[in-house]
Amino acid sequence: MKKFILITMIVPLFLAGCDGDTDPNGPNGFIQIKGSDTIVNAEQMVAENFIKIYPHIAIAVTGGGTGVGIASLINKNCQIAGASREMKSKEINTANKYGVHPFETVVAFDGVAVIVNLNNPIDKLTIDDLHNIYTGKIKNWKDLGGKDIAFVLLSREVSSGTHTYFKEQVIQLGKKTSKEEFLPGTLLLSSSQAIVEEVVSNEGAIGYLGMGYVSGRTKSLMLDKGKGYFSPTVPNVISKQYPLSRPLYFYTDGDPNNLTKLFVDYALSEQGQQCFKSSGFVPLKDNATENK
Amino acid sequence: MKNFAKTREKIAFTMLGLATFIVVLPILLTIYYVVSNGSPAVTWEFLSKGPTNGMTEGGIFPAILGTVILIIGTMVCSLPIGILSAIYLVEYAKDNLFTRLIKLSVVNLSGIPSIVYGLFGFTLFVVFFRLGTSIVAGALTLAIMSLPVIITATKEALESVPNTYREISLSLGATKWQTVRYCVLPYAIPGILTGTVLSLSRAAGETAPILFTVAAFYLTQLPHSIFDQVMALPYHLYVISTQVPNMPTQISFATGFVLIALVFVMNLFSIILRGHYRKKKQW
Repeated sequence: MKKFILITMIVPLFLAGCDGDTDPNGPNGFIQIKGSDTIVNAEQMVAENFIKIYPHIAIAVTGGGTGVGIASLINKNCQIAGASREMKSKEINTANKYGVHPFETVVAFDGVAVIVNLNNPIDKLTIDDLHNIYTGKIKNWKDLGGKDIAFVLLSREVSSGTHTYFKEQVIQLGKKTSKEEFLPGTLLLSSSQAIVEEVVSNEGAIGYLGMGYVSGRTKSLMLDKGKGYFSPTVPNVISKQYPLSRPLYFYTDGDPNNLTKLFVDYALSEQGQQCFKSSGFVPLKDNATENK
Repeated sequence: MKNFAKTREKIAFTMLGLATFIVVLPILLTIYYVVSNGSPAVTWEFLSKGPTNGMTEGGIFPAILGTVILIIGTMVCSLPIGILSAIYLVEYAKDNLFTRLIKLSVVNLSGIPSIVYGLFGFTLFVVFFRLGTSIVAGALTLAIMSLPVIITATKEALESVPNTYREISLSLGATKWQTVRYCVLPYAIPGILTGTVLSLSRAAGETAPILFTVAAFYLTQLPHSIFDQVMALPYHLYVISTQVPNMPTQISFATGFVLIALVFVMNLFSIILRGHYRKKKQW
């Protein structure tokens, strides 16, 4: 027993000792990144590649939702908040009260894809159809010419930026005065991947998520907002023809400086943008070059 | 009439056996399912490297290390307090309203859902004491969660030592402390060990208490101090199964396999230790 206690006390000391060799030449320090689940995977990849260049900077990446990230930025619990929506003026006011001055950087673009089960015969919807589905004005796929199955409405929970974006664009149809809400029976799931899993196994399900989560296991619907039907593909998001296209943001306290500047600059560099691209998002550069 | 009684006995035994089998079945199935799906992916590289390529490749070493650190931290924080307070409650405390109140709250504490401990730890350690999301905050939260189990197990172990031991020791002129130290504790140790290790292995598998207090989705470095965050196996398993798209299921199962193996090794350790102490004991 004594030996065991001794070992358990020595092991962590040893482990702590063996990687404390900080090189004084390279920049070192710690960056805490929190926020949107939509981009957490892209952030993780950026971080993974970033430390190949700056091996002495430690980075922690945590998800939880845009709301969590912004709250942490305000509490000074993180240096960079990932967000899938703009900060609300109310949040900016709160931040200012705590001496935090949020600075916005657009890091990539994203389309919010609407997904259904592969066996669902429906291929396309208008934004109004989507509005009617999620507010309960229609109840069954057969009302849209599909099978006789009731809708199972899936959504992210309220701390999600995607949730807020979808609510503003679809539930309230972009009207600031609208007080319309999700149908009370809507299932609020805790992650985008959970929405995928539910849609894969449930023929009546309909859900929405960032393009990064789209895979061959679900069907993404073409959407129309008066300009014809477009599917959530990179070119359609770049041309802004896909109706649910949005920017993704990094928020920092003030202009990015020192470490955060290094990281944000890296995220905007070619290698950084490549990470967003391979996570299924639309990089900024493609956007600039192909959007002439 | 005699035959009828025998048939009834047979039916009763079959029912009892069936009930036991149903208890064991899910455990066996879970282990079989996780091991058969996960074991091909458990390689040395998987155990010794960090995750790469957007978590979909590489290993889970940071998460294993994080969980081990958390268990050690939990043990350091909860074991002395838990065992000492149980000794006090059983051997020293007078049976009055106050003690009964304490005992009642200990029992009730063990019924609190782990997510409540998580939120409590977040408000108290992370926010109020400004420890931030860190190993200390996580270990303290897990320690508070483990305390009631440790206290209850220790109490039961102490109470199972026959009272005559104490009476004889005291009648020979030994002090109360000598009695506890030499006549009660040695015989209670096997029971105490089993209870504490079980509570620690439960702490190792919990996600909710570490969710807000210590766990990180991804860290580029191993922790340097107790004020750093860590990745932890249960949380890692949670995020790779709910958060990361196109995650190879093999990796999820392999992570689950490692977590089960870790807990199993801890339990095995407690069983061996208990056997060791039992051999010494002569009632």
